[in-house]
Amino acid sequence: MSNIQKGNSILEISGLKVNVQGKAILKGLDLTVRAGEVHAIMGPNGAGKSTLSQVLAGRPDYAVIAGHATYLGEDLLALAPEERARRGLFLGFQYPVEIPGVNNVYLLKAALNARRRHLGLQEVDAFEFLAIVKEKMVLMQMDESFLKRGVNEGFSGGEKKRNEILQMTVLEPTLAILDETDSGLDIDALKVVANGVNSLRADNRAIVLVTHYQRLLDHIVPDHVHVLAGGRILKSGDRGLALELERRGYDWVLEEANAE
Amino acid sequence: MSARPEATSALARLQPALARLPGTRAWQQWRAATLAQLVADGLPTPRDDSWKYTNLRLLERRELATAAPRPLPSDVLQALPAAQGPRLVYVDGRFHSALSDSELPAGMSRTSHATLLDGPPPPEQSGPVDADLRLRSLNLCMAVDGARLLLAGGSAPARPLEIVHLHTGGGAYPRTRLELGAGAKLALIEYQLGVDPADAFVAAVTDIVLGPGATLTHTTVQLASDRAVLVDDTHVSVGRDARYSHRLVALGGQLARFDLRVDLDGAGAEADLRGLLFADGTREQHIRTLLDHRVPHCSSAQLYRGVAGGRGRGSYDGKVIVRAGAAKTSSRQSSRNLLLSKDAAIDTRPQLEINADDVKCAHGATTGTLDENMLFYLLTRGLDRQTARALLTYAFVGDVLKCIEPQALRQMIERRALGRLPAAETIREFIA
Ligand SMILES: Nc1ncnc2c1ncn2[C@@H]1O[C@H](COP(=O)(O)OP(=O)(O)O)[C@@H](O)[C@H]1O
Ligand SMILES: [Mg+2]
Repeated sequence: MSNIQKGNSILEISGLKVNVQGKAILKGLDLTVRAGEVHAIMGPNGAGKSTLSQVLAGRPDYAVIAGHATYLGEDLLALAPEERARRGLFLGFQYPVEIPGVNNVYLLKAALNARRRHLGLQEVDAFEFLAIVKEKMVLMQMDESFLKRGVNEGFSGGEKKRNEILQMTVLEPTLAILDETDSGLDIDALKVVANGVNSLRADNRAIVLVTHYQRLLDHIVPDHVHVLAGGRILKSGDRGLALELERRGYDWVLEEANAE
Repeated sequence: MSARPEATSALARLQPALARLPGTRAWQQWRAATLAQLVADGLPTPRDDSWKYTNLRLLERRELATAAPRPLPSDVLQALPAAQGPRLVYVDGRFHSALSDSELPAGMSRTSHATLLDGPPPPEQSGPVDADLRLRSLNLCMAVDGARLLLAGGSAPARPLEIVHLHTGGGAYPRTRLELGAGAKLALIEYQLGVDPADAFVAAVTDIVLGPGATLTHTTVQLASDRAVLVDDTHVSVGRDARYSHRLVALGGQLARFDLRVDLDGAGAEADLRGLLFADGTREQHIRTLLDHRVPHCSSAQLYRGVAGGRGRGSYDGKVIVRAGAAKTSSRQSSRNLLLSKDAAIDTRPQLEINADDVKCAHGATTGTLDENMLFYLLTRGLDRQTARALLTYAFVGDVLKCIEPQALRQMIERRALGRLPAAETIREFIA
């Protein structure tokens, strides 16, 4: 991980086509993400943003029918979900799953150790782990009762999102894909989440923010902004594009694309 | 090549064994007549509605007579956690004084079923025996011993009473009767434990009567041998303001069935039944409950979890009856079942028969596979598939496991239950 340099390719997607329940959702999507970058993928509801996120994490029931995705030089689509995770790909879910009866902290410790084993590092024991997680919980302003609870069990929408970011800060991924991490957060919680994400910005990793609104981008300033609509990346630009989308909506991007 | 059919049924082959059983001449006659009727009726089959999901045909090749006592391995009770209180041990239905504690909980007295064999037998059955009652009838025919326990009103021993039923092979007919006087309070832990590799047939009967305001927490831990066939028939009468809690953990046996009938006989009576059934390999685990709300202001709750893997089979057949006039009844019934393989199956039949107004009843039964969304979430956190599946399975049974007491027993059961899961080792650290 440490040998990744700013500007190295982390993720390269070309011509990706994905069907969900027989319906074409992604229709030839291209995207390149390099180390040190923060990308924002924006687009109307139902455009396929979550589909893209889930496919990159390895969701089995979404059928990839064409295209490639290369992650750190490997064929990403050939890897099982757990292999992707151990190689440092992290998905923050739009709808984190509740798993009653599976302890939040034990899961996170197992996740960290799975990653460390892959990296050839020694596993952390319960004591070391607690020290790590408590430090990150301070950053995420989460109280210690989270340690005892089941995974997302009975968490509010905002708590679930914080928990996703807590996991991310502990796992220190190479590529973080955060799907609508801002939705359902009040402004204070949004700042906490943005803090967590910003704490992870580094030259040797990349972050992909999937979002519907531009307000998150006031707190986490992206290097690149893309519009996902009609199953493709229709337009890419810088921060200014996000502001323009907020003013003008998405229709003009589609019209522009149709005119071509 | 087809197997040669047995010339006589397993029940008919029992006849010579009757002569060896103790009891008055009247008992001998009663037994002969009862067994003859059972031979005529045959064992229950899936054609009998109450046995719809349980097929006893593998009994036809079994020896149903009780074997002569034989020496036991010295570590025979090692499989159990340390005794939580006074322990009574029965081997193939016969009291074993050397393995048992002589002291009983304060306020408790004990006699033996054997003393009844000196008195008159029950009235003779005329005509066919209901399929529901045949194994009870067989038990009474064959039982030679068994605890008859009375806990005096107001007594509340601090430690649980344990009853261990050991099976060494051949027939075992444990018979237990427990009565709690008014306001008495007891924890009873019952073990069904096989001495491997016992090819046992166990037909157990337990009758429980709870007086007004009495409280019984009854835990049944079924650890029969892998080749054992076990049928357990428990009948509980719950008096006014009394409370009956049952915890079933069914882990062993080739085929095991637990029949639990609870009559809520006094206003304010409560029943809280929870159970966990593991049918791995080619094991069968069946549970049938009948909750009879006979009077107003009673409540019952049932929570059963079944897990079947390999070619395992299971069933939950639960019926709640609310009698006419049993107003203000509250009843909840939930059976959730998890299939870990394509060849596993669990049948459910929750039934509700309501004959009264102003009642609150909820019931539901589901059978499904592991939740794919949960599984995917765990995989995206780097857990391997086997660990993720084991964790989810363990979580599935957690809400039954966590209410087992005392802690030493719960931990033993957790270890045992874990041993039945794939990847047990890898998820041990998750269980704090
Ligand atoms: N499990 C599913 N079954 C059927 N259709 C789905 C499923 N998941 C997503 N879709 C459809 O796929 C399309 C893209 O959805 P999604 O990727 O969630 O969009 P976004 O995240 O951009 O809002 C939508 O039309 C949605 O209705
Ligand atoms: Mg989405």
